[in-house]
Amino acid sequence: MTMPALATRSRSAVWRRQFLLQGCWNYEGMQNVGFAYAILPALRDFYANRPEEALKAVKRHLEFFNTQPVMGALILGASVRLEERVAAGEADPRAIGTFKVGLMGSLGAIGDSFFWGALRPMASVAGALLALLHPLLGIAALLLIYNGVHLMVRRRGFAAGMEGPEGAVGWLKRAALNVRTDDRKLLAAILAGAYAGVFAGRFLVQGGGVPHALASLLIAAAAVHLFVVLLRKAVSPSEILLFLLIVGVLILWR
Amino acid sequence: MTWRYLLAILLGGLCYLDRTAACQLMLHRPLVVATLMGAVFGNMAAGAQVGVVLELIYLARLPVGASIPPDDTGAAVFGGSAAAIASSSIGLDAGSFTALLLLSVVVAEAGKTADRFVRKVNVRIARLTAESVDRGDVQAVEHGLLAGLTLFAVTGMVLALVFSGAGVAVSKELLPRFGPASRANFAILLPALPLLGAASVYSCSRTERTAVVFFLTMAAVFGGTVLFRWSV
Repeated sequence: MTMPALATRSRSAVWRRQFLLQGCWNYEGMQNVGFAYAILPALRDFYANRPEEALKAVKRHLEFFNTQPVMGALILGASVRLEERVAAGEADPRAIGTFKVGLMGSLGAIGDSFFWGALRPMASVAGALLALLHPLLGIAALLLIYNGVHLMVRRRGFAAGMEGPEGAVGWLKRAALNVRTDDRKLLAAILAGAYAGVFAGRFLVQGGGVPHALASLLIAAAAVHLFVVLLRKAVSPSEILLFLLIVGVLILWR
Repeated sequence: MTWRYLLAILLGGLCYLDRTAACQLMLHRPLVVATLMGAVFGNMAAGAQVGVVLELIYLARLPVGASIPPDDTGAAVFGGSAAAIASSSIGLDAGSFTALLLLSVVVAEAGKTADRFVRKVNVRIARLTAESVDRGDVQAVEHGLLAGLTLFAVTGMVLALVFSGAGVAVSKELLPRFGPASRANFAILLPALPLLGAASVYSCSRTERTAVVFFLTMAAVFGGTVLFRWSV
C-alpha cells in the first residue's frame, strides 16, 4: 500500500487545533476529545475513502489521554506520523495507543516541572516586578517571557513529532528540558527574592534606624520561611489567606 | 455602568477560556486580568496594584493531572474591579487593599468549585461524543469539542459578571462602612501578602542552589529599597 499524503492544509489544521487540546477537559477521558479533534484533519486525509477505518482511528484517539498541554504537541505530531504508517499498512494500530500511553506520563511530568514549576513562576515574578514601574510593562514581560518559550516548544515539538517517534525522542534529548528547568528555577528564585525584598522594604520599614530595618528584614525572612514550610506541608495558599482574613476580622472586632 | 459589565463579561470570558480550554497564553494570569478589570472599571493602576500581589500567591498550586488550583483569574476579576471602584470612591488605602486581597480568597474557592462542575458536565459531553462516534458519526468529535468550549466560555462569562459585580458591591457597600482607623488596623496584615507570594514562587522553584540565592537577593534588594527611601 502506498503512503497516504498529508496535505499542507491538514497539517496546518492539526497544528492550529492543538491549542484546543483541553477544550473538552473532563474527569473521565481528560484530554481525549481534544486530542481526537486535533488529529481529525489528518485522519480524514489518511482514510479518505475508507470510512470504516477512519471510524476506528477516531475511536483510538477517544481513549483516555492526559499530558501537559504544551508537550501534547510532540505526541500529536508523532501520532500523525504513526497514523500515516498505519494507514499505509506499515504499522500495527495498537502501536499508537502504546506510544501515547508510554509518552504522556513522562512528558507530562517533564512539562509540568518546566512550564508550571519553573517558566511560569519566572515569567510571573518578572512581570510583577516590572509592573511596579508600569502595569503594561509588567504584562508585556509576563506574556513575552512565557509565550516566547511556550510557542517555540509547541512549534519545534510538533515538527519533531512529525519526523516520527524517533525524531520526537531525539528532539527531547537535544532540548534538555531538565537542565533548562533548573536554570529557570534559579532565575525565578532570584526574582522572587527581589520581589520579597522590594515589598518588605516598602511595607515593613516605616521610619526608624538601621536596627529597625535589620529587625524588619529578619521578620520578613522568617515570615517567608514559615510560609514555605506551610506550603510544603500541603497547606494551600487559600487556607493561609483564610487564616489571615479571620485574624483581620478579629482585629476589626477588637 | 452597563457597558462596563458587558466589557467585563467579554474580557473575563476570553481570559477564562485561556485558563483551561484554549491556548494557555497566560492571558488568564491575575496581573493581566486585574489590570484589565481595573481599566474597565475606571482605574487601571489600582487594578494592577492588586494584580501584582495576586499574581504570585497561588503559583504554588500547580494544575497537574486532575487537580484544580484555586481560581486566581476569578480572584483577579473581583480584586481588579473592586480596587478600581474603591480607589475612585474612598481611595485605595492600605486597609482596603488588604481587605480586597483577603476577600478574594472566597472568590478563588468559589471559582474552583465552578471549574470542577464544568469538568463534570464535560464527562457527559465526552460520553455522548463517544456514543455518536460508535454510531458512525465522526463529526461528533467536532461538535463535542465545541460544546465543551462553549460550556467553558459561558461559565467564564457568568463568573466574570458575578465576581466583578461582587467586587463593585464590596467597594461601594462594605468598605465604606469601616472608618479610616479600622482600615488602618486591617492594614497591619498587608506585608504578609506579597511575602506569601514570594514564598509561593520560592517553594515551587526550590532546588539545592536556590535557598541561598533567594535570601541573599532578598537582603540586597531590601537594603537597596530602604536606602533609596531614606535618601528621598
